Amino acid sequence: MADLAGVAPTTVAGVGPLSRLSRKQYVALATMRWRLLTNSVRSVQGAFELGARGVAFLIYALMGLGLGIGLGAGAYSIASTGKWHILPALFWLVFVVWQVLPVALASFQEQFDLGMLLRFPVNFGSFYLLNILFGLVDIPAILGGLCCVGLWTGITLARPDRFLWTTFVLAVFALFNVLLVRAVLAWLDRWLAQRKTREIVSGLFLLLMLSLQLLNPALRQENNHRSRNFKPSPTRPKVVREIPGWTKAARAVLPWLPPGLAAESMTQAAEQNMASSTESLGFLGLYILAAGAVLGVRLRSEFSGENLGEAPARKERVEADRRWLIDGSGPVAAVMEKELRTIPRSMPLLFALGGPLLTVLIIGTVIRNTASASGHPFLLAFPLCVSYALLGFTQMIYNNLGAEGTGIQMLFLSPTPIRTVLLAKNLFHGMLFCLVAVLAGIFAMMRLGVPDGALIAATAAWLLFALPLNLGAGNVLSLTMPYRVNLGRLSRQKGSQASALLSMLIQMTVMGVGVAVIEVCAHTRRMWLATPIFLLLAAAAVFAWMRVLGHSDSLANRNRDELIAKLAKTE
Amino acid sequence: METAAIQTHGLTRRFGALTAVEDVTLSVATGQFFGFLGPNGAGKSTTIKMLTGLLEPSAGTMEILGQPFGAGAMNLKQQIGVVPEGMALLGRLTAPEYLRFVGRMYGLDRETVNLRTEELLEFMKLADERRKLITDFSHGMQKKLALAAAVIHGPRVLFLDEPFEGVDAIAAGMLKNMLQGMISRGATIFLTTHVLEIVERLCSHVAIIHQGRLVANGSLEALRAGVASSLPGADREQRLTLEEIFLSIVGASGQEQTQELSWLT
Repeated sequence: MADLAGVAPTTVAGVGPLSRLSRKQYVALATMRWRLLTNSVRSVQGAFELGARGVAFLIYALMGLGLGIGLGAGAYSIASTGKWHILPALFWLVFVVWQVLPVALASFQEQFDLGMLLRFPVNFGSFYLLNILFGLVDIPAILGGLCCVGLWTGITLARPDRFLWTTFVLAVFALFNVLLVRAVLAWLDRWLAQRKTREIVSGLFLLLMLSLQLLNPALRQENNHRSRNFKPSPTRPKVVREIPGWTKAARAVLPWLPPGLAAESMTQAAEQNMASSTESLGFLGLYILAAGAVLGVRLRSEFSGENLGEAPARKERVEADRRWLIDGSGPVAAVMEKELRTIPRSMPLLFALGGPLLTVLIIGTVIRNTASASGHPFLLAFPLCVSYALLGFTQMIYNNLGAEGTGIQMLFLSPTPIRTVLLAKNLFHGMLFCLVAVLAGIFAMMRLGVPDGALIAATAAWLLFALPLNLGAGNVLSLTMPYRVNLGRLSRQKGSQASALLSMLIQMTVMGVGVAVIEVCAHTRRMWLATPIFLLLAAAAVFAWMRVLGHSDSLANRNRDELIAKLAKTE
Repeated sequence: METAAIQTHGLTRRFGALTAVEDVTLSVATGQFFGFLGPNGAGKSTTIKMLTGLLEPSAGTMEILGQPFGAGAMNLKQQIGVVPEGMALLGRLTAPEYLRFVGRMYGLDRETVNLRTEELLEFMKLADERRKLITDFSHGMQKKLALAAAVIHGPRVLFLDEPFEGVDAIAAGMLKNMLQGMISRGATIFLTTHVLEIVERLCSHVAIIHQGRLVANGSLEALRAGVASSLPGADREQRLTLEEIFLSIVGASGQEQTQELSWLT
């Protein structure tokens, strides 16, 4: 028998983020990630998942390259012609891609939860550094990075003498974006973790949407007022419009914001005014410190083992608590009520629903502003705006069991067939979709005007085709490629790239069919024909959906082990 | 002859090359409190998953209340309550919402669901936490809620996988009384736990699974007598505890028990 010999001094001392211990931890983490990757290909689905990730990465890389090349060409043109006043627009574009995309993609891409590191002797510096490093491999960071490389290439080709300074300014700008996006996501997760703040954020989101609606008539009124009093000069070109007064304030503020400062630094450097250039970069440095500090405050709390639980329970009247939102004792009503209660508590789903609606407003505005001289937007503007609302349902429909977590066991244990559960979910999602589609239609009409009756009917019929098709395909993917969704978080989710890729393909097919039918009918001047065609397709889609539903129990039983393992296991 | 509440014949489950449960044949009589024991990784949870329809057996048959049982046996599922390994909770619901959801999934009417929900919340001392999301419950509270959900429909057979893990002593005592009350009213309970004292106190019959195979099955007294008979003369007279019986059967040798780590203080 071996005796106790005491603790041998085998631990590695270190305190800083670059200490020996920290470096060993980084290696261990990298090894762990690598092992996770190699182990994932042990199963067929894992290999398929990895392949899908590769394809998705390729798509994003192509998108990034396209953006980068476009920005590079723009930057080259600006730098070679000396039109530096346009440069801020490019920096703002990069900023928007870098900051807005992560929130949009947060629910769909797999991210590593650093909270698991807290049980190890990881110091705060390492924790902070790792948070940033993991942020660097996010898709939006890669896209933003490619955009910066594009800008760098364009400016350097036009002004090789500014090579070093351009590199430095763009590196500083990239660092700011990385820090800011990590801070934004970390704080969003913090706010969304508690019911009260979640409700406030939801309220602000709704307020923002309403404000955009009110902004439109307000601006229109102002423009109408101006145009009535406006006497055009015969010498002034017709395309020049009077710039609204409120843009003056914006023009005064924008140069002091990070993209403006980065662009200003480049402009001043190009004009050999290094003092001003350095000054702008210095201000950008202050923003970096601020973003770093904001991130630090949040990470410090996480590092201290903060509990993001709900506030202490309030005692309320039992009677009020007994209310049933959807009447009926049956499982269909029970599942629908559960969904109804869960969605308002889930920010990823609320964002997924509200985001596209907000985008419809923006797209509608862009289409209206770029409408032809006749003032009529292009034919597909209305159906595209409305169909865009469907995108928000992608995750909900194509992974409709993902939010169950360990509750998936309950669904298998109860005497309710899975097809009943899926039917209830489909009905609920269908009703929600109809509501969102109607809202999107109203928003689109407010921005684009009321389209032709035949087009409205065709759009409605197209939705009748798209919805059951998506629900049917969604049920199959939900049962065969499930992934667990953490409803309390916007970021750091685990996703399935394979499911995302397939759902994207189906969505594109559905949209393609819609566009083709409407375009062909419009081209042949038989717009009325689009509606019956879509209705026929809808009947086929409903048939397919019912077939899928009919086979869902056998499919669920075949994939039961996988479903429970993926959704119920905590990693 | 009375029908067995749970009956298995040659129950087997393989995961690729690994056989997690092999040829398990057992019978649990109606009204029995049955303890199912085994070391970690022995196949206890896998067996419970198969018996409750969460996992498809690779071979063998199962009968619950005298009827063949499988994933599609909805009428039988109505008679079964389960606290599975992962507790099967929905984190984004509150406790009353979850209990009502489960009740409705088992087809109970509104009045019954509401009544039982309130009674269970009071009984489990969860009534003060009715506004809290389940995800914010402590582990012990989640266990109590999982147990409440398992019994809301008044099952005739109850499967419990580690139901007392993380539950405080007061709540554990209360739960034991509740389970004994169910037994006295004719229910059958199939329990797995690592707390052998609980099994010794509650269960009349015990089965031990080791490395996927059933190595002992019978009443506690029969197991005790069987193990005692293999002991040297003087030791036969002493009353063995379940822990001693368990260690004797699963073959934990003296060396394994005394083996130590040289680098630990």
